[in-house]
Formats: sequence, structure tokens, C-alpha cells
Amino acid sequence: MLNHLKYKLPDGYEEQRFIRKLADQYAIKKEPAIAEHFTIYDTFDWRLFNKSLVLYGSGNKLFLRKLAKSEIMQSIEISPLPVFIWEFPDSELKNQLAPIIKMRALLELVDVHSRSIPYRILNPDEKTVARLAYEEIRPSRNKDEPALAAYLWLKPVKGYPKYLRNLAKQIEEAGLTVSEKDDIYFKALEVVDKKPGSYSAKVNIQLDPAMRSDEATKIILRFLLQVMRINEANIEKELDTEFLHDFRVAIRRTRSALSQIKYVFPTETTDRFKKNFAFVGKLSNELRDLDVYLLNEDTYKAMLPPVLQDDIDPLFDYLRKKRSTALHSVIRGLKTKKYAKILKDWEVFLNEPHQDSKLAVNAELPIIDLARKRIYKKYQGVVKTGNQILENAEDKMLHVLRIECKKLRYLMEFFSSLFLPKKINILIEQLKILQDNLGDFNDLCIQGEYLLNITKELPATHQQAKKTLVAIGSLIGTLDQERQRNKDAFAKIFTDFASAANKKLFQELFASQTQGDVT
Amino acid sequence: MTTLALYSNKGGVGKTTAAVNLSYLAAQTGAKTLICDLDPQSSATYYFRVKPKLKSGAKGFIKGGKQVYKSVKGTDYENLDLLPADFSLRNLDVTFDKMKRSKIRLKKILYPFKCEYNLIILDCPVTIGILAENIFNAVDYTLVPLIPTTLSVRTHRQLLSFCKKKKYDVGKIYTFFSMVDRHKKMHLELMTRVVREFNGVLKSLIPYLAQIEKMGIHREPVAVYSPGSVASKSYQNLWDKIQESILYPNREGSHQ
Repeated sequence: MLNHLKYKLPDGYEEQRFIRKLADQYAIKKEPAIAEHFTIYDTFDWRLFNKSLVLYGSGNKLFLRKLAKSEIMQSIEISPLPVFIWEFPDSELKNQLAPIIKMRALLELVDVHSRSIPYRILNPDEKTVARLAYEEIRPSRNKDEPALAAYLWLKPVKGYPKYLRNLAKQIEEAGLTVSEKDDIYFKALEVVDKKPGSYSAKVNIQLDPAMRSDEATKIILRFLLQVMRINEANIEKELDTEFLHDFRVAIRRTRSALSQIKYVFPTETTDRFKKNFAFVGKLSNELRDLDVYLLNEDTYKAMLPPVLQDDIDPLFDYLRKKRSTALHSVIRGLKTKKYAKILKDWEVFLNEPHQDSKLAVNAELPIIDLARKRIYKKYQGVVKTGNQILENAEDKMLHVLRIECKKLRYLMEFFSSLFLPKKINILIEQLKILQDNLGDFNDLCIQGEYLLNITKELPATHQQAKKTLVAIGSLIGTLDQERQRNKDAFAKIFTDFASAANKKLFQELFASQTQGDVT
Repeated sequence: MTTLALYSNKGGVGKTTAAVNLSYLAAQTGAKTLICDLDPQSSATYYFRVKPKLKSGAKGFIKGGKQVYKSVKGTDYENLDLLPADFSLRNLDVTFDKMKRSKIRLKKILYPFKCEYNLIILDCPVTIGILAENIFNAVDYTLVPLIPTTLSVRTHRQLLSFCKKKKYDVGKIYTFFSMVDRHKKMHLELMTRVVREFNGVLKSLIPYLAQIEKMGIHREPVAVYSPGSVASKSYQNLWDKIQESILYPNREGSHQ
């Protein structure tokens, strides 16, 4: 199969001269210029870019291609262009995008304008045997603006490989080279000052093992503050639910760091900020809960018998109304002086030089020692609690274990740059499986309880409302069965996590080299 | 994937012009289309300015597979490829006849193209022998251009009775009026009679026009050298009717 060949033209290249030269040997027919306009999309956290994918729309068409490749992998016709995956029609494109973008909104990154002049290469029968196109790409329609890039395309016509080979030879002899890796994506984004992959909520920092522990902790916390700031500004815009989610995770991690990376700051400072961030976290608890229910709307519906599926609608209408009120309350909360002061104080503290304090006994310790100690201790705690549950599976204990696991996970992520990525990532993956089981169990408990309570709030006077209650009842039943299944699966999942192999790896990474007195 | 034959057991009825124009219009809708020129006279191939040559000639064609695949040429138009004719195809009838499973040879030859194309249009030579049966076995639908003359109608009756006798589904045979002269009273009268007598007559006709005859000079589909002309519109109308009545009878919003 012959592919299109793309040649990058150097700045100021006179393509006309080249075409004229070719015309000495071939009959060339120039066609009318084609102007096209594309918009490139991605989620706020670059989910498509991270998978080396480029999604772009032109007119009422949406295309997906690989980065640095021009062949289109999928395309659909749709108008208006969708923002969320659930707005896509059933298609291969939807199937491919769904597990990547999930609930995130597709945002317009940049507009690209292409103007190309097609040429047909003709044989003596005046039959087209190859196509050339000269393409200029600009950030706007304005032809006077300098082009971001110019390309010469050589496109084969099936059944005429000799012409293609000869033309390719001539083009290469003229000094042009096939540009395989080059992608206009990067240049176009550069114009609008966007850096692909620049945002990720994942902890992405590099720590030096010998660094003072208080300084290292501040680096972690500064990163988390930055995530809070970036997302806080977008919550109000209501683009999707995940700005709030990332914002909340950053708060939770901050709180966890304050309590788990022990004695690196004076206790009174730690206590003060712990209290402050508990307050900031609470501001949006209700809104996040509602987001989760609404994101699960289709899943819940699918759990119901078909006769009840429409009857649940009033519940979701009610939750949507509640969400709108909750959102406004969060926006108000984020605009209060109290919130502003908490974050300002925090920022000042994080940027202040370290102060020695008798109460911060771990402050000067190399971070590697503290990291090992804390992670290993937490791991031992998790195993101990898990073993207790194996003997007596109390719901309350599963909840305790979930929290313990979360703390361990955060610690491992904060300090992952201090350890061999291959090894620590294996353990994080293992922990994740256990966390998923515990997380689902907790969600199912809370959701069942929430639905039961919400029935008290729903106005229940007319016939429809009664049917809604029946539907909610049915849903609670299904959730409870699911919860039980989850609980039954715990023993196997935990035993896998607490396996001898994992234990050995935990010891190897975190236990054996701990020296000295670390509190 | 759909395979459609432009077929007639009578010569000079407008099969090739219809096959060329319809395949062009199909490709314009975005459907990956292949036109196969089975006629050794190679008129369709000529219209697309391609040399009438198959790799290894009729031998390669009959063998099928890679050789046939390699013979395909891209046309000047997006989404439209051509399997050229070859003069050696003139003995196809006899050659098929000598082979085992002689009536499904063509179906086997076309099989590899089914994955790659949404629509395959066969431009068939005049035949009512083994090749005709190969065509009926290979295609989903047969489209017969009918000149509203007594002899044409008579030939069409012959075809239908042949198909009935050989147990081919006559419900898959459609006709449309071709080379119609509206000034001729006989043409008009015969058209009324034909619609009454036969099933599957598409409500569309291709007039007898000099514009269409000029295809030989332009070597392009009518819609390319004479867009907006009566000739071009009549093929567009025929294509619309084919989509509505044959290809997508259940699709909403098809052209009326």
C-alpha cells in the first residue's frame, strides 16, 4: 500500500519554481486552491496527547489521527461537535475515545487554517497518475500572516507506482526531505502558548534523596497548591466535573502530607493548616457527591429493571437541582475572605525559608530516610488491619483499611521519585487493585444510605413520585447485592496484596536501609 | 458492500455510460467504489483514460487474487477505482464454461474486493450465456437499461424468462429507461406499457442527448464536463432512485 509522502519546505522555499521545473517533464494541471479550517481538541489534562492522539474538527466532521501521522484513524459527521463522550453517536470513534477521555470535556485548543493548491500529474492520455499539493498552514485566515509551516504532498494514484517513484526521486533531488516526525500540532499550540502535557494532577516532582525533609515536603506541597490554584479558577466555568475533583484530591493529598510526613514542621503550624484544609475540603463535599451520582446516572439506570428505568428520572432531576445550588455555594465559598486568607497564609509558609524548631525533629533528616520509614510503617499498618478483617469482616474495619490504604498510596506517590520507578510502580499497581475493591465497597455503602435518606426529601404526593420511590427501592436493593459481592471479593484481593512477593519488595525498597532514629 | 451489474442482453443500450456516471456519483457521496470493466471493448476503461490491460490478461483475471488486485487503477476521482478491461476477456464465456463450478467463477474473483469497497459496479458485455449466469451469481442487483422500443422490450422479456427458468431471483432485476426520445410517440407509449408489464422499473429515465454522446470526446463523467446539464441531472436522478429503491430502501430522508 502506497502512502502519501509529506515534504517539509524550508522557509521562503519557492514552490512555484520547483513546479515549473517538474513541468518540463510532466504535464501538470493546477486545480483551484482549497481552504480548510481545523480546530484541535483535547481535555484539560491532555488525555489525548498523552496517548499520542490528535482529535480535530473541520466543518461538521471530526477526525482522529496519531500524532506525527497524517492517516486518519477514525472520523464521523456530527453537528454540533460534541463536548462530552456521551454526546457522540455510536461509532468506532466513540469506542476509541471513551476509555481515554471518560467524563472530561473536550476543549478547543487552537484553530489551524490550511490553504492548499492541488496539482495533478498527467500521462500522455491526460490521465491523473499522481497528485501533488502545496500546503501552507497559518494560525488565521489572513494570507499576509507568516505561515507556520509549508508542505509539499505527493499523493499516489493506485496502479501508477512508477510515476510516484520518479516524482519522489525528483523531489528528493531538489533537496526536500520527507518529514515523518513533524506535526503542525506543536507549532499551532506554540502560537497560542499552550504546552502539550503541561497539566497533570498526578504528583510529578523530582526529589533529591539527601534533601532536608522539610524542604522536600514543601516541594510536594507547593506542587499540590499549584494544582489547587489551576483547578480552582476553572470550577466556576463549569466545563466539567473534574476540575473540582482534581482540586479536592490536591486538598486531600495536602492534608494527608501534613499528617503523614510527621514532624517536619512545628506541630502548631501543622495543626493550624490541617484544620484550615479540613475546612476547605468540606466546602465542596456535597457538590462532589452529587457529581458522582449524576455521572453514574446511566449506570444506575442500567441496574434497574426496564419497567422502572424511566421512573428514576425525577430523582436525577431533583439531584440536578440540588447540584446547581451546591455549585453556587462552592463558588461563593471560594470567593470568601476566609478561603483567600487560608491559601495566602499557606503560600507564604511554603515559600518561607526553613526555620529550625525543637518540635520539628525530622526537619533536617534526609528525605529518603523519612520516606522509607513512613511508607514501611504504613504498609505494616495496612497488612495488620487487613489481617484482622480476614478474621472478622466488619464493615467499619473495611472503612478504616480504605483510609489507611489511601494514606499509604499518597506517601508512595509523594516519594516515588526517590525509588526505582519499575519497582515502586509495581507496588502502586498492586495497591490500586486493593483500593478499587475498598473504594467500591465504600461507595456502595454510602450510595445506598444516601438514596434511603433522599427519599425523605423527595416530595411524594402524586402517583409518579410513588413510582420513583419504588425505583429507588429497587436500586438500593441492587446496590446492596453489589456491595455484598464486593465484600466477598475482598479476601482474595487482600491476600494477593499481602503476598510474600509484595512483602519482599516492600522490605527491599523501604525497610532494610532504614538507619538511625527516625520518629 | 453491494455489487451492482449494469447488464443487458442487447447491445448499445447505454450500459457503459450509465456504469461510468453512476460509479462517479457513488464515489462522490464518499462510498469507496470500484467499477469493473468486463467488456473486452473496454469503453468504460477508455472513458477513464486507462490502458485496457490486466496483469497477465484473462489468465490472471480468471486466477483471481493478487494479479487482479494489482491490476486496479485509481481514477482521476476521489474514492473511485477501476478494474480495467482487457481484450483477452472476449473469451470469458468459453473459458468459464470449461472450468469446474463454472457459474460462480466471477463471484470468487470479486470476493477479495468486497472488504475494500462499499460499492462494486460491473459494466458487462452483451451476454446471455455462462458469463451472464456468473454475473447474476456475483451481484446483489442487476440494473438493465431499456430503450423504449419493441425489440428492446422483447429482449427484456427473454431475459426475464431465462432468469425464471434458471431460478435467478427476478426481484433483484431492476430496469430504467435509457436513450429516451420524448418526441417519439412510440417511446412514450411503450414506457407506459413497460411500467405496467414489468416489476422493478425505476422512475427515472436517461434521455437521448448529444451531451451524453460527447463523453467519448471528453473522456470524463457527464457531471465533470457538463455539471448542471440535463444529462448530468438525469444521471443524478437515476442515482438517487437507485439509492432510494435498491440500496437503501429504508433510509429516511433519501432524495425524492
